[in-house]
Amino acid sequence: MSLQSEMLPLVQMTDIEKHFGGIRAVNGVSLDLFAGEVVGVLGHNGAGKSCLMRILSGAMLANEGTIKVNGEVAEIQNPHDARDFGIETIYQTLALADHLNAPANLFLGRELKTWYGDLDDRKMMRETERVLRKLNPNFKNLDDPVSKLSGGQRQVIAIARAIYFNVKILIMDEPTAALGPSETAMVGNLIKQLRTEGIGILLVSHDMHDVFELCDRVVVMNKGRNVGSHRIEDVTKDDVLSLIIKGELPDDWVPRGREMLQ
Amino acid sequence: MANLDRGTYPVPSAFRLSTGSFHKLSAILTLVALAIAFSFGNDAFLTVNNGLTVLLQTSVIGLLGIGMTMVIITGGIDLSVGSVLALSGVVTGLSIKAGVPTAPAMALGIVAGATCGLVNGFVVTKMRITPFVATLGMMLIARGVALQLTGAAPISRLGEAFGTLGNGSLFRIVEKTGGIFPKVVFPGIPYPAILLAVVAIAAAYLLNRRQVGRHIYATGSNEEAARLSGVLVDRTKIFAYTLSGALAGLAGNVLMSRLVTVQPNEGVMYELDAIAAAVIGGASLMGGVGNISGTMIGAFIIGVLRNGLNMAGVSAFIQQIVIGVIVILAVYVDQIRNRR
Repeated sequence: MSLQSEMLPLVQMTDIEKHFGGIRAVNGVSLDLFAGEVVGVLGHNGAGKSCLMRILSGAMLANEGTIKVNGEVAEIQNPHDARDFGIETIYQTLALADHLNAPANLFLGRELKTWYGDLDDRKMMRETERVLRKLNPNFKNLDDPVSKLSGGQRQVIAIARAIYFNVKILIMDEPTAALGPSETAMVGNLIKQLRTEGIGILLVSHDMHDVFELCDRVVVMNKGRNVGSHRIEDVTKDDVLSLIIKGELPDDWVPRGREMLQ
Repeated sequence: MANLDRGTYPVPSAFRLSTGSFHKLSAILTLVALAIAFSFGNDAFLTVNNGLTVLLQTSVIGLLGIGMTMVIITGGIDLSVGSVLALSGVVTGLSIKAGVPTAPAMALGIVAGATCGLVNGFVVTKMRITPFVATLGMMLIARGVALQLTGAAPISRLGEAFGTLGNGSLFRIVEKTGGIFPKVVFPGIPYPAILLAVVAIAAAYLLNRRQVGRHIYATGSNEEAARLSGVLVDRTKIFAYTLSGALAGLAGNVLMSRLVTVQPNEGVMYELDAIAAAVIGGASLMGGVGNISGTMIGAFIIGVLRNGLNMAGVSAFIQQIVIGVIVILAVYVDQIRNRR
């Protein structure tokens, strides 16, 4: 990795504004994400974090502000554009088409085609099998509509869809909220692995344990503003809670090393 | 997990009875049962001639049903097809009267239908009017335009060529007898039936093998998920409505050609037959579910019922009651199956 790419953020969101009528959901928020970094995005429901993530993933248009990817302005008008910039999202709702099977969901919106333009279902099935088995060796029923699969299996499909296609920036919205312990561990390991591959990850989570376990940095949002961006070593869980609830750090706060906390 | 009993080896999907194939199977059985019942009632039912008549009668509903199926799979509905059918016929008729040759005039009629569908698509996606209301509006507008353009009067004397599409047939074998009427050995396969088969195969191919088909299913299954996956949902819907309009146009030309007259008040309530065909065939008005072969079976169930009940001398009123009951039963059977 060159020195420049180490210094240049993968994503730079600057002065992002989003209002709905009179409500400022996102109020002049800036956020950087570097390659190989996991950033926890925290805040109450309605603090604006989901909104900010939806803007980056193209699901929502910002009223103001710029987004740069690798230092260049990125016009993201829809999810299609975001994907072209290597921005992939795992939504809390998983965003799966229930009546379609796993391969159709995995390749939805970018189906593989034969040379004469037909859907190449055979190849999509093969690739899906390969990718899903990597995440979950016991994955079966690739032919069934995904509505018939378990919550964990559905999550695996949503994850596979996000990481299969040359992902550079991964947004994960509450990826473990609906999972059991072993699946949560799988997601944790995956995040660690993707980070070593130089992928930047934005992790929206309520789970303080996950955040301190996985993140390099936290960004806390409160009432539509970014009220703090801190290296995880510099803060305790109480500090973060104070940011989430009050929008500021405790009065007696000084940056502290992680070892002091244990 | 109920699937464990399948063991480690994946069972080929052809041997598993999915909900969709169960529905199709029961629909086919219904169709066969109907045919058997009617053939007992009347010797003339199970003849080549009558079979071809059913084909001919079903082709219009079948064509409308194909477009309707596409729209229903996206989670929408197209109430305008009966009126669009009439308007298309009127456009064709007026074009011929204005001196346009028959084939290009028919093409104009189909373009008119497609345009109505395109407008439906725009109203649904860009103006965000629910499909029911949008196409209800178009149903009134298209019918109104058709009646206005013609003064509600039929257009006749459109030339012999105009009647070919609806009345001609392939492989017709006629024996000269020397009398006034030649002996018809084989009446031939009616052009409308051939057209229906071609369109049905093309539509099934589109839905199953092409990207736009996959996107039609995805849009109806979970519109938000499709959008977040980069599917251009609006474009997909507009495509479906336009195709439905174009097929209504085609059906209009087939029907008017069969009558050799353009009737601006033809096709009233046809949209309901088309919806019934799709629903009997397993399409779900919730979206994401449906297929062309099912709709074809549905169309033929309606066609066979009409034909058989007609031959048995049952009144048109009773026919409506029977078809209504069948629509409800078809959906009910499907629901029971899904609940398990």
